[in-house]
Amino acid sequence: MFGSVQSCLLVGFDVRTVEVQADIAHGEVKFFLVGLAATSVKEARERVRSAIKNSGLEFPGQRLTVNLAPAELRKEGSALDLPIAVAIALARAGKRPPPHTAFMGELALDGSVRHVDGILVAARGLRMLGFERLFVPAADAAEASLVDGLAVTPCATLKGVVDHLLGIAAIEPYVSGGSEAMSDPGLWEHDLAEVHGQEEGRRALEIAAAGGHHLLLSGPPGAGKTMLARCLPGILPPLELDEALEVAQVRSLLGELQGRGPLDWTRPFRAPHHGVSMAGLIGGGSGLAQPGEISRAHHGVLFLDELAEFQAPVLQALRQPLETGRVAITRSAGSVSYPARFTLVAATNPCPCGWAGDSIRSCRCTPGGIDSYQRRLSGPLLDRIDLKVGVRRVKLETLASEPTGEGSAPVRARVVAARRRQLDRQDCLNCQLKPARLRKLAGLEPASRRALERWSEQKGLTARGFHRAWRVARTAADLEGSDHIGENHILEALGYRLQDIAA
Amino acid sequence: MAIVGSRRPSPYGEAVAEQLAADLARAGVIVISGLALGIDAAAHRGALVAGGVTVAVMGTGVDIVYPAAHSRLAEEILAAGGALVSQFPDGTAPRRHNFPARNWTMAALSDAVVVVEAAERSGALITAEAALDLHKEVMAVPGSVFSPLSVGTHCLIRDGAALVQNARDVLAALGATQEVLDDPLAPPPSLGVSLPRGRDGILSHLSDVLALNAAEIARKLQLPVSEVLGRLTALELDGAVRRHEDGYVRALRNGQKRA
Repeated sequence: MFGSVQSCLLVGFDVRTVEVQADIAHGEVKFFLVGLAATSVKEARERVRSAIKNSGLEFPGQRLTVNLAPAELRKEGSALDLPIAVAIALARAGKRPPPHTAFMGELALDGSVRHVDGILVAARGLRMLGFERLFVPAADAAEASLVDGLAVTPCATLKGVVDHLLGIAAIEPYVSGGSEAMSDPGLWEHDLAEVHGQEEGRRALEIAAAGGHHLLLSGPPGAGKTMLARCLPGILPPLELDEALEVAQVRSLLGELQGRGPLDWTRPFRAPHHGVSMAGLIGGGSGLAQPGEISRAHHGVLFLDELAEFQAPVLQALRQPLETGRVAITRSAGSVSYPARFTLVAATNPCPCGWAGDSIRSCRCTPGGIDSYQRRLSGPLLDRIDLKVGVRRVKLETLASEPTGEGSAPVRARVVAARRRQLDRQDCLNCQLKPARLRKLAGLEPASRRALERWSEQKGLTARGFHRAWRVARTAADLEGSDHIGENHILEALGYRLQDIAA
Repeated sequence: MAIVGSRRPSPYGEAVAEQLAADLARAGVIVISGLALGIDAAAHRGALVAGGVTVAVMGTGVDIVYPAAHSRLAEEILAAGGALVSQFPDGTAPRRHNFPARNWTMAALSDAVVVVEAAERSGALITAEAALDLHKEVMAVPGSVFSPLSVGTHCLIRDGAALVQNARDVLAALGATQEVLDDPLAPPPSLGVSLPRGRDGILSHLSDVLALNAAEIARKLQLPVSEVLGRLTALELDGAVRRHEDGYVRALRNGQKRA
């Protein structure tokens, strides 16, 4: 007697289908599980046996072989419990499962179906592979139902699933509450209205938000760098549907989506401490790499406070994702690639004591100390930063008075409009424009070109820096609602390149 | 003529050193300094800008430029007909105890030493001391009484060093009779660079000494910071302002065109 069902495994964001085949044959009473199963899957034998028995179903008292195909793919995790048990039950009953259907879920010994991580990733992947129905743990049904065109059957117990498949008692398909229209979270922890002065920093923040550019704030302690950075989420538009799903996928893999209702539309804001390890920031861990902070910040903001205090190798590892928006991590168990298209906002002191360049307090660092401190931010990393702005301390008498700057709401409106223009024109933000498209979509007038070329020559800009300044100018023009990049836009963009000022 | 001073000068000190070196070089004086960060580099640069000859007295072997960031400056010095000089054999790495000896050599090579910005225990004061021992002229440029970088120079002045305001003072001390080019106390006839209309409004708000950032200027002018930043960049491209980590100052360098 033979039965088989479809399931899947996750390799990072990739979904690989797995066929679970069960065969019951005459012979010695034994349970074989074959098909390159790792320890966590081998343990499935014990869980499945108990779950079947405790569900009031009969475990075949014959020679039972379960094969996980394709055999060359290493199987890990507990999501195959349910499909194994179902395959056995179908083999006994001599039934076939409904077409285009896949099963996922972990079994408890009493036969109840437990949560597994990454359901959303699996559901999206399976939908793209042509699957139409997915049996998932009841706890994860809401998560799976975020995917359009996929019918979700919530599984509470193994018995319920088997009864459903054998036509004894049907399970009601999961009806999602519908993904709520983009609700505006409205209130943010930090509003630009609370920021005193810092006109230059505010403007740089607005440009960073509008074009997705990377920003570095440099200034003495207490100047308000962190405050500014934390205002960024409040001037960003909510996530688009696709973006929200990708963000949710990362959380799904990390098992953080459990029990959450509809999609979260707010952009992620991640602020890891400077002691963060390579694996924590970039992704890693034993076995297949888990997503790190940069992937959690996908479509959102990665805030690195005290940039120069991060370990140098960790900062160096940021270079690839900053450029490509993805990170590929290879471990002995295989190579995975995670999305990591974030806006980097970093803050740093100008020197170890923090007071270099301050108008009142004098700095106590040696020239060598300052040099080595600043050298920790390597040239290649700084070259990938679009905007570097000096933040000065605000005079104390100003701090006591009411701040007079704009609040976040009008800034956000401008950012949203500028982003709309970019998406309408080129289907991506300015920060993602490749040089060829930049030339096509963001042509420079002769005067603008001359200014940019003169600067590159005077400051020795790299080709990368040249294009980054160009993109920032495109964003400045978009914020103004202008189709053309004027000389003023280029000049302003160059004004945010403090990293080009040699000592 | 040696010009020495702090490795971490204020924008003021840097501007003075550069201007002084430029004016002296133009008068035919060879500017000697130590190729270090700060005042030394400004002095070399000023002399180069004026098309003059400048000599770097190094504390390392002549084949090792320290700091390495100055290797381009060293090349420019050579290209302009200047020299890199060292009393140490080739391959000598930077060592703390070699620099005082280098300062001594610098004093010995010069007819006079001008100190621009030196804090209390600055190496520049060693050069001044050496110059006194060698019976050379010692001069100092005064600075702000609020700045710790003025302590050393003011001390020298108090002890009898000649006070230097401009290249004329230096040339007079050297016994040169030449009439000098630039008097910083007189209002500059023009800035020397032709500025497009509409930009000069900003320049008049900038100081030679105290760095102002774009936000502060924007507040004074009641203009959006984006516009001010753009205009400042244009001025920077023209060489009329110079940018530091903490803001903009007026560039004095165009004394070259003023003369």
